[in-house]
Amino acid sequence: MIKLQNVNKYFYRGEPREVHALCDISLTIEAGEFTLLSGPSGCGKTTLLNAIGALDGIDSGEIYLDETEIGSLDEDARTTLRLNELGFVFQAYNLVPVLSVEENIGFVMRLRGFSDEEIRRRVLEVAALLEIDNKLKSLPNTLSGGQQQRVAVARAVAAKPKIILADEPTANLDSNNSQILMNMMRELNEREGISILFASHDELIMHSVRRVITLNDGILINDHKL
Amino acid sequence: MFKFALKNILFYRGRSIATFILTFISSVLLILFISMQDGSHNSMLKNSLKIYTGAIEIYHKGYRDIGGNEYLIQDTKSIMEKLAKIDAIEAFSSRYETYGLLSNGEHSAASMVAGVSPNKEMVLSSLHLALKEGKFLDENSGNSIYMGSELAKKLKLHVGDEVAFVGGASDNSFAADIFRVCGIFKTGLFEFDSSVSFLSRSYFDELMYAKNRASYINIKLKNLDDLDRVNSEIVRIINDKNLESLTWKTLMDTMVEAMEVDNIFGYISLSLFLVVIFFVIMIYDFINISSRIKEFGVLRCVGLSKKNIFALLFYEIFILSSLAVVIAAPIATCICYYYSINPIVINGIAEMYRDYGVVSDEIPFSFSIPTILWNLSIIYLLNFLSILYPYFYINSFKPIEATRHV
Ligand SMILES: Nc1ncnc2c1ncn2[C@@H]1O[C@H](COP(=O)(O)OP(=O)(O)OP(=O)(O)O)[C@@H](O)[C@H]1O
Ligand SMILES: [Mg+2]
Repeated sequence: MIKLQNVNKYFYRGEPREVHALCDISLTIEAGEFTLLSGPSGCGKTTLLNAIGALDGIDSGEIYLDETEIGSLDEDARTTLRLNELGFVFQAYNLVPVLSVEENIGFVMRLRGFSDEEIRRRVLEVAALLEIDNKLKSLPNTLSGGQQQRVAVARAVAAKPKIILADEPTANLDSNNSQILMNMMRELNEREGISILFASHDELIMHSVRRVITLNDGILINDHKL
Repeated sequence: MFKFALKNILFYRGRSIATFILTFISSVLLILFISMQDGSHNSMLKNSLKIYTGAIEIYHKGYRDIGGNEYLIQDTKSIMEKLAKIDAIEAFSSRYETYGLLSNGEHSAASMVAGVSPNKEMVLSSLHLALKEGKFLDENSGNSIYMGSELAKKLKLHVGDEVAFVGGASDNSFAADIFRVCGIFKTGLFEFDSSVSFLSRSYFDELMYAKNRASYINIKLKNLDDLDRVNSEIVRIINDKNLESLTWKTLMDTMVEAMEVDNIFGYISLSLFLVVIFFVIMIYDFINISSRIKEFGVLRCVGLSKKNIFALLFYEIFILSSLAVVIAAPIATCICYYYSINPIVINGIAEMYRDYGVVSDEIPFSFSIPTILWNLSIIYLLNFLSILYPYFYINSFKPIEATRHV
C-alpha cells in the first residue's frame, strides 16, 4: 500500500553542515499493519513520517501511496491527499481549542463532506472505543493529557484513513496512559483494519506492535515482524 | 466553517470586540461625515441656485465672455416655444440684463438692472422671498424697481422714492427714465445686494427696445438629478449653433471647483482616519492569528486547505463587520435623516462661507441611501482587505513548520 524506493533526504544540502537524514530508504507497508519506527533520537523517524505524510519533500527516490507518487503532487493535491487518505496524530495533542471534543473528532469528516448524521454516528462509535464518549461536549482544555491524545486519535481515525501516521503519540503521557492509548490503537487497528505507523523510542510500545523498523543515522538497519 | 468561525469569534473575545467597535465607529463616522459634507455643499449650491442662478441657462455664444448687445438672444419667443415642449422643465423665463447708472440727487451708483417676468421669477428664483421692505414686482408694476438693500443704502433710497436711470438700450441707443422703488431685498449675498436691481420686463423692454431679446433664458428643472439628460435634450431641440445651453455646474464653476477641492481634502483626511482604523483591525487580526499558527498548522497537516482557511477568516470578519454594520447603519441613517430635516446650526458659518452663497448658519445633512450604501461597502471592503495579510502570513509557513511554531 505504501512503498518507498530509494528515498533520500538531506537538510542544508551542499552546506558544510549537511545532514543526510534519510539514506536510500526502501520499504513497503501493507494495509492493516501495526508498525513501529524506532531508533535513537535524530535518526530520521520524524523526517520519514513527514515524507510519507506528504508534509515534507524528499530529494530523491519515490514514495507511492497506492498508485499515487507523492513527490509529483503540488501543495493543493497533497492537502487533498492528506485529508482523504491519511490520518495524523502528533506528539502535542493539537486539538482546536474553540471546538468541543465532539466537533474536534468530527472535524476531518466535516472537511471531507460527510453528512451530519454520518458524522454523529461515527463520532459516537470511535468515542466509545476510546472511552471519551462522556466528554463529547467538553472543550479540550478541560481534559487530561491522556484524554486529549485520545481525542486526537479519534479525530485521525474517524474519517477512516488508509493509514495513520503517529509521531511520538505517547511522549507526553505517563506509562499508564501510554499503555491505555496503545491498547486502544491496537484495537482500532484490528477492528477497522486501519494501518498505523508510529515513530517512537518508547520501550513500552515495542510490546504492542507487530513490526519494528529501526533506523540509525538515516539508514534502515533492521526490519522485523514479531 | 461558518459555525467554526462563529465559535472563534466567541472564543477570541478581545479581538472580536475590538474589531466590532472599530468597524462600528468607522461606519457611523464615515456615513455622518460624508452626509455632512455633501449636505453642506448641496445647501450652498441650492441657496445660490434658489436666489438667482438657473439650473440651466441658455446664452447666445459670446455673451458670457464678451457681452454687449451683439450677443443678445434675438428670437426669444421661438426658443421659449420649444422649451415648453420639454417635460422635465418646471419653469423657464427670459431675463434681460444691462448695466446703467442709478442716481438719487448727488448719490449715484452703477447697477446691473435686469428686466424679469415677475410671475415666473416667483417660481424660478427666491428673489421675492428676499423681500425686506415694500413689495415685489408684478406684471403691471410699470416703472417700479426692486432693489438690493446695500444698493438702496448707497443711494439713500427708501420704498416709494424715485431714482433716475441712464443706460444703453439694446439697439445701442441712449435710454433714460425715472423709476420708483417698490421694494428692497436682502439675500445675504453682499455683492448681489449691493449692485443688482430689477424691473418688470413688460415695462423695461419698451424702454430698452428689448422685446423678444434676452441676455439669457433661465430654466428650472423638476428634478435636479436629470440635469445632464435634460440639458442635452434642450441642445437637441433648440438646435442652434449660435446658442449654448449651460448647466449650473458651468455657470458656477468656481463654486463647484471650490467644493471639489473641499471634497478632496475631506476624503483625504477621512481616508487617513480609515487607514488607521483598519491597521488597528488588521493588527488585532494578526495578533490573533499569530497565536493560532500552531493550531492552523495542525489543521493544515490534517487536511485543511488554503481555501478553507480563507473561508474561515472571511467568515470571521464577515460576521463581525456585518454585525457592526447592521447596527451602525440604522443609527447613522437615523442621525443623517434627523439632521437632514433639522439642520445643525453653527453660528457664524454663514459669515465664513459668504463667498459661496451660504446665507444661513444651518448645515443640513444630505440623506441619500445610495451614498450610505457605498459608504458601507467601503467599510466592508477595508475589513476584507484587513484579513489578507494575516491570511498570507499563515500560508507563509509550511504546515509542518507551523506545528512546531510557538
Ligand atoms: N527542519 C530541519 N532542518 C534541519 N535539519 C533537520 C530538520 N529536521 C530534522 N533535521 C535533522 O535531520 C535528522 C533527523 O531528524 P528527525 O527529526 O527525523 O529525528 P527523529 O528520529 O525524529 O528524532 P527524535 O527521536 O528526537 O524525534 C537530525 O539530524 C535532525 O537534526
Ligand atoms: Mg522526531
